[in-house]
Amino acid sequence: MKNQLKFRFVFLLFLGVFFITPRLQNLHAQEVKKNKVRLKADYFKIMNGESYLNLKATSKIEKKNTEVPNIDFTIYNIFDDEKITIGTAITDMDGKSKFIINSLSKLKPDSTGTFNLSVVFKGNDAFKKASKDISFKDAVIEAELITKDSLNYINAKLIDKSIDSVIVNESLGIQVERLFKSLRIGEEFNYTDENGTVLVPIKESIPGVDGNLIFEVILKDHDEFGTVKALVNAPIGVPIVTETTFDKRTLWSPRNKTPLFILVFANLLILGMWGIIVYLMVNLFKIKNA
Amino acid sequence: MNTHKKIISDLAPKKFGKRDTIWTISLIVIIIIGLIAYIDQLIKGQEVTNMRDYALWGIYISNFVFFVATSFVGSVTVAILRLTNNSWRTPLVRIAEIISVAAIIMAGITIMIDMARPDRLLNLFIHARLQSPITWDVVIIPSYIVISLLLLYFPLIPDLAILKEYFKKKKPTMSKWYGKLSLNWTGSKAQKAIQTKSIQILAIMIIPVGILLQTIDAWLFSTTYRIGWDSTNFAPYFISGAFVAGVGALVTLIYVVRKAKKLEHYITDFHFDKLGKLLVLACLIYLYFNINEYVIPLFTAKKGELTHLETLFTGSYSVIFWLVTIVGLILPIIALLFKKGRKPLPMFFIGLIVVIGSWWKRFVIVTPTLLHPFLPIQGVPESWHHYFPSLHEWLITIATLAMALLIITICVRYLPVVPIQRTIDELELNNLDKNTEL
Repeated sequence: MKNQLKFRFVFLLFLGVFFITPRLQNLHAQEVKKNKVRLKADYFKIMNGESYLNLKATSKIEKKNTEVPNIDFTIYNIFDDEKITIGTAITDMDGKSKFIINSLSKLKPDSTGTFNLSVVFKGNDAFKKASKDISFKDAVIEAELITKDSLNYINAKLIDKSIDSVIVNESLGIQVERLFKSLRIGEEFNYTDENGTVLVPIKESIPGVDGNLIFEVILKDHDEFGTVKALVNAPIGVPIVTETTFDKRTLWSPRNKTPLFILVFANLLILGMWGIIVYLMVNLFKIKNA
Repeated sequence: MNTHKKIISDLAPKKFGKRDTIWTISLIVIIIIGLIAYIDQLIKGQEVTNMRDYALWGIYISNFVFFVATSFVGSVTVAILRLTNNSWRTPLVRIAEIISVAAIIMAGITIMIDMARPDRLLNLFIHARLQSPITWDVVIIPSYIVISLLLLYFPLIPDLAILKEYFKKKKPTMSKWYGKLSLNWTGSKAQKAIQTKSIQILAIMIIPVGILLQTIDAWLFSTTYRIGWDSTNFAPYFISGAFVAGVGALVTLIYVVRKAKKLEHYITDFHFDKLGKLLVLACLIYLYFNINEYVIPLFTAKKGELTHLETLFTGSYSVIFWLVTIVGLILPIIALLFKKGRKPLPMFFIGLIVVIGSWWKRFVIVTPTLLHPFLPIQGVPESWHHYFPSLHEWLITIATLAMALLIITICVRYLPVVPIQRTIDELELNNLDKNTEL
């Protein structure tokens, strides 16, 4: 009898451990302090291309700014206190995400023509919820290459689409695309005149693949319009002549491009050498039969 | 006629004595140990070696270069001495031919040992690029093996016919084999004409082929643009080095064979004196190219090459470098300049030192350059900065050397190391000359 009681007690204790342990784990989980996540959102527009938001999530973990991957964003269009979901995004390993706005015409601007978006992170086990509002107006850059007196210029016009009016006295950057980083052309600040235009001369002898250059006219990090960029393709560069030996017969080519001298000389040597060897072997048979 | 019989009896292969058997068994044991190490290398990969990303050529390659160099002895002694009508060569050429065959066969095997995937050997032929010195090597080594074998075989034919008769009653089985290999040699005019012509062609042919072999071996290195290798001097430097290694090996082996086979009447002090002069000539030429290779760059080299030279002169490889240069080259030259230095016993030690020096010389050529890559060595394990062969590498390399010695031993056992027919012919010619004078 005493043994049976002892057995029941041990059994209950054993069972109890299974019930209590997960609860303790829950308690422990609640004690974990969630980190605050900081959001950054920038609006970009490429003329005749895509418009998008560059999103970034960082957090101060152990006194160190750290990029946060796998943060789920929901992007809303705010219109008259109404939140219209326009899409979702998730950060990559660098804490970055690019949310492409399919068409600005599908978004609803407020009475001033300003688009109001909100990027919302609902929070997760490790991070608290966070949000970031971003507002921008639609601006347009009309850029073209013009030639005056045999000189080439980039002519660009900046227009506020919300009011269909040119934007005066704003600085546009003119640059040409290069392999790693774009190269600035002209002055650092090129302010638009009363017609909303800038005219920047292009220096000759800029090298480009097949002579093709891509010029960028850029309104950078503007408080109202974000970043707007127009691209102008211009075949006015100096063609880059790459001195490649790819198709030539060199020492380092594949075997079907062996230099002819080596091909002929080496084969002659081999044939000559083995011709004599064969002759000598025949001589062995001749000795045998002599 | 009795003299002929005595010559044949003296020069015919003899059964191994106790000492020879122990020697052969020792070589076989070393080879088996090396074979086990090689199988382990095949199973585990080249991880068992100490070769890493930088020192990717270790003693396998330096050993290969040594074998290639030693095989040059066939071209030097047999061909050049024949073409220059040096009659003192007669008792020495057969051993030179045997060394040449053994060394070049082992060079071919050693290069395969260095391959991490020997099962892909055929790819060297299937995907061969004629621009690559490696392809040239793939072509030249088998060619040189065949030429060396022919150079050994053609002059052997009359001797094999003599041995067939000699062993007819004593050892019929051996006689049968000698008979088959002698190609029905009767010494007829037609046979002699074909044989003489063939040997003449071979003697002429093996010189450019031998030079080509050494040159290709040098170009394997010099076409890589690496410091220490990127030298227009490299091909003649290798050829002269091969001259030294080959003649050094010949001197050493001739002394051993002479003593073991009691051939003092056939290989005399006169031959050693002549060989000594040939060796000192080889060493002096090699010294000249060493000066070209190391002394001139000392004054003209840019920083990278200067660092390499400092490693050799005062750095981590200085002990080996100076031992090889002074003990392995300069001291033999000094010793050989004196008549006493060209006596058999001193010549044996000099030859041995020269051969050991030649082996380590190849190590000094191959390894230090690899430890000075184009880009500074950074962020790699400490062990990658240095190279010294692992136990596997030593066992396998020693086994290849033993294998070369075993090939030589087998040849010495079954072939007449001094040409019988030619010795008889020369004796007859001398007697004829004496009679004419009388």
